Amino acid sequence: MRLLSGQRKKNSSPSDKNISSSLSSNIQEMKQLFSYKLNKDFSMRTLNLKFNHKEACLFYYSSIVDGARINLNIIKPLLENDGDSVSNVVSIENIEEVSDFETANENINSGKVILFIEGDKMAYAMDVADFQHRAVSKSENETTIKGPLDAFTESMNTNISLIRKQLHNSQLINEGIQIGERSKNEVNLIYLKDLVNDDILENLRSRLKDIKTDSVRNVEMLEQYLEERPYSLLPTILYTEKPDKATSYIEEGFIVLLMDSSSACLIVPVTFWSFFHYPEDRYLRFFYGNFTRAIRLLSFYLTLMISATFVAIANFHSEMIPPDLLLAITASRERIPFPLIFEVLIMEIAFELIREAGLRIPNPLGPTIGIVGALILGQAAVEANIISPIIVIVVALSGLSSFALADLNINFTIRIMRFLFILAAGTFGMLALTGASLLFFMYTASIKSFGIPFFSPMSPHFISSEDTVFRKALKKELFRPEYLRPKDIRKKAKS
Amino acid sequence: MQNNGFLQTKEILAITLIVIGSKLADSTPALLAQKAQNGFWLIPVIAFVCIFPSFLIMLYLLNRYQHKNMIELIETITGKWIGKIIGLLLFLFTFLTLTLNSRNYVEQIKLLYFPESPTEIIYLIFFGIVFFGAKRGFEVIGYTSWVALPIIKLSAALVIILIMGNIVIQRVFPIFGSGLPIMLSEGVKSTAIFAELFFLLIAYQSAKKTQMFTKGVIIASIIAILEIVLFYFVYITVFDYNSIGKIAFPFHDIIQYIQFGEFFTNIETIFMIFWLFAAYIKFIIFIYITAWIFGEIFAIRNFEPLLLPFSFLVIMIGLLPINSISNELVLHDSLITIMSPFLIILPVLLWIIALVKGDLKR
Repeated sequence: MRLLSGQRKKNSSPSDKNISSSLSSNIQEMKQLFSYKLNKDFSMRTLNLKFNHKEACLFYYSSIVDGARINLNIIKPLLENDGDSVSNVVSIENIEEVSDFETANENINSGKVILFIEGDKMAYAMDVADFQHRAVSKSENETTIKGPLDAFTESMNTNISLIRKQLHNSQLINEGIQIGERSKNEVNLIYLKDLVNDDILENLRSRLKDIKTDSVRNVEMLEQYLEERPYSLLPTILYTEKPDKATSYIEEGFIVLLMDSSSACLIVPVTFWSFFHYPEDRYLRFFYGNFTRAIRLLSFYLTLMISATFVAIANFHSEMIPPDLLLAITASRERIPFPLIFEVLIMEIAFELIREAGLRIPNPLGPTIGIVGALILGQAAVEANIISPIIVIVVALSGLSSFALADLNINFTIRIMRFLFILAAGTFGMLALTGASLLFFMYTASIKSFGIPFFSPMSPHFISSEDTVFRKALKKELFRPEYLRPKDIRKKAKS
Repeated sequence: MQNNGFLQTKEILAITLIVIGSKLADSTPALLAQKAQNGFWLIPVIAFVCIFPSFLIMLYLLNRYQHKNMIELIETITGKWIGKIIGLLLFLFTFLTLTLNSRNYVEQIKLLYFPESPTEIIYLIFFGIVFFGAKRGFEVIGYTSWVALPIIKLSAALVIILIMGNIVIQRVFPIFGSGLPIMLSEGVKSTAIFAELFFLLIAYQSAKKTQMFTKGVIIASIIAILEIVLFYFVYITVFDYNSIGKIAFPFHDIIQYIQFGEFFTNIETIFMIFWLFAAYIKFIIFIYITAWIFGEIFAIRNFEPLLLPFSFLVIMIGLLPINSISNELVLHDSLITIMSPFLIILPVLLWIIALVKGDLKR
C-alpha cells in the first residue's frame, strides 16, 4: 500500500509495476493510471466469465476501438462460451499476454482491449483498433498521367498493404521502433532484408533511438529530427506520397519509413537523383521518359538561373545580346524608373506571393486569385511603367518552370537559391554568377546522406543502373546502386 | 585530408586535364610567341618531351616507395633536412606559380569583361570563391572537375568548330618560326609550363588505388598536350606571325571573332562562362595543392585551415607587380626559366640517389 501511494505521488506516469493477481488492485491501478471518470472515452466493463466462473474486467479507449467487434467477439463469447483458456474462448485474431502496466498502457494507447481476470497474474491484450482515417485516394501533390494513381493515407496498415500489393516478397520486413517520451509513436521501417545494407539500417535505427523528445507526431516532423544538417538548404531525406515510388526504392535496397499519422513516407538514404527522378520517367517508354528528363533538366536551369542570367547579361554583358533584340529591350525599359535588378526582384517576390496566397486561399476563390494576381496585376504594372514586359516574360518563365520540379523539398531549395543568384549576378555579372553556381554545385557535391555522396553514382563513380540525368532502357538496367552496398548487387536479369 | 576511396581514374584525369588544359586559354601562348613567333605551337611538344621522362621517373619512384606522397618521397630519399629544403623550394615554386598565374587571370577578366572595376575587387571576388570552393575538400574538387569537364571541353570544341572558317593553313610557314635553334632553346627553357604535373603528385595517395592516379595523370597529360598543340596551331593559323606576338590573350581574341549564325554575332560571353568555370576550378585545385604541400613539409595533418591565410597571401602578393605585362612577361617568364632545369633534373637526381642507396633493389 505504501508502494501504491508512492506511485500516486508520481502522478499518472506509466507504471512499471507488474500486474498482481488481485483484480481489485489491478482495477484500482488502471483507474488511477488513466484518470478514469475524468477521461471521458476511457471505458471499463466488468463481467463474469462463463468458462472459469471468475470476475474479470475490460479496459479500452472507446474512441479508438471497434465497439461492435468488442461486443461480438470478446464480451459475448466470454459471457456465454465454454473453454479452457481465454484464447480458446474469444474469437479475436490477435491475443497477447501482458505482465506489467507499462505494456498494458502502450497497448491501450494503440487501440487494444486489456482483459484482467481475478487470480491471474497475466492480462490479455486483444487488438480491436479502429483508428479513423481517410480512404485511399488519388495522389494530389504528385500527379501522374501514366502509372498508378493511389496515394498513401493516414493509416499504417493501409499504407503497408499498398506496398505489399506491389511487392510480393517474404523478405519485405516491416519493423517497428517506438519513439517519443510522452507519446509513444511507432515508426515503421520497411525494407527488403536480403538486400538492405546492415550498416545503413543500424545507423538509421540508432538515429531513431537517439531522438529524445516528448513526441514525434508524423513523418514530416520525423524528417527534421532525423536529418544531419537542419540548417542546410538541401534536403537529405526524400518525402513522397506515392506507394509505387516508395516500392521502387525498396526494391533497390533503400529504406522506407512510415508512421501511422502521415499520408506520406520518408525514404533514406538519398542522392541528388532521387529528387530529380520521378516514377513516371520509368513508366514512359525510353524516349518519352528521357524527353521528360531533358525538359526537367531545362526547367532546373530556368528556375535557378534565367532571371539571374538576364540580370547579368543586361547589366554587364549587353554586347552579347543581338543588336535588334537589345534595342527592343532598351526601348521597353526606357520609361521604367527602377534599376533592372530591382525590377526582377519585385516580380520574383510578387510571383512568390501569388504562389503562396494561391496555396492558402479557400478553394472556391482559387481561380480568382490567379486571374487577379497574374493577369491584372502584371498587365497593370506594365502599363504603369513599373515593370517592363520583358521582365514579366523572364519571371513568368522562371516561375512556370519551377512547377516542373515536382519534389517539394528540392523545389524550395531551387527557389531560394534563385534569389541568391540574382543578387550575385547583380553585383558582378557573370563573374559572380559563375562563381556562385560553382560554389552551389560544390556544396551540393559535398553533402552526404547517411554517408553517401550526393552526386553518386555519377561522381564518385559506383556500379549502378546508370540512371542519372538520363536512364537506360529498362532491360539494360542490370545493377542495384553500389553506393548502398546492397547484399545482392545484380538484378536478376541474366543468369 | 579525407580519403574515402571515392576518387578514381576519371576524377584524377579531370583534375589534371583542367589544370594543364587551361594553358591553352591563358596567356602562355603569348609568352611563348615572344621569341618563337609562329613556330611557338611546337614549343609545348619540345617542353613535353623534356619533362615527360622526368615525370615518369617520379611516378616510378612513387610506385616503388609505396604509401608516400611526393614530399614524403623526397624526404625518404634525401634525408630529412635536405628533403625539407627541396620541399620548401618546391612549395615556393608552387606558390609563386599560383600567385603569378592568378594575377594574370584576374587581369584577363578585368581587361576583357570588367574594364572599369578595380583589380583588387575582382581579385577579392575571384579568390573568395576559390577559397570557399577549396574549403570543400579534395574529393569534392574531384567530383566537380569530373562533372564540369565535359561541358568545358565541349565549349572548347565548339570554339574550334566555329573558328574553322578563319583558319589559313599556309600561315603555319615558316614552320620553325624564327628559327630551329631559338625554338629548341625556348622549348627547353619553357619546360616548366608543365610544372603543375609535378605539383599534382602531392595527391598521389588520394585515389582509391595509386594505379588509378598514375593512369589518370598519364592519360590526362597526353590528352592535354594534344589539346594544347591543336589550339596553338589554331592560334597561329588564325593570326599570322606578325600579330601573334602582340596578342596577349589569344583565346579571348579568338572568341571575339566567332559568331553563331547571322543572328548571334557576339557570343564570347558564353565561352567566357565556361572559361571562368575552368579558371575557378583550376585555382581551387591549385590553392588546395599549395596548402597541402606546405602542410606535408611542416607535418600539419589538418592543413585545410591554411587555405584562408594562403588565399589572403595570394591576393596580397599577386597585387604587388605594377602591371600585368611585367607580371607575365618578366616575372612569370623568369619563374618558368628557373623552374625548368630544376624539374628536369630533380627526379633523375632522386632516382640516382635511390639507386645508390640500394632502395630500389627490393
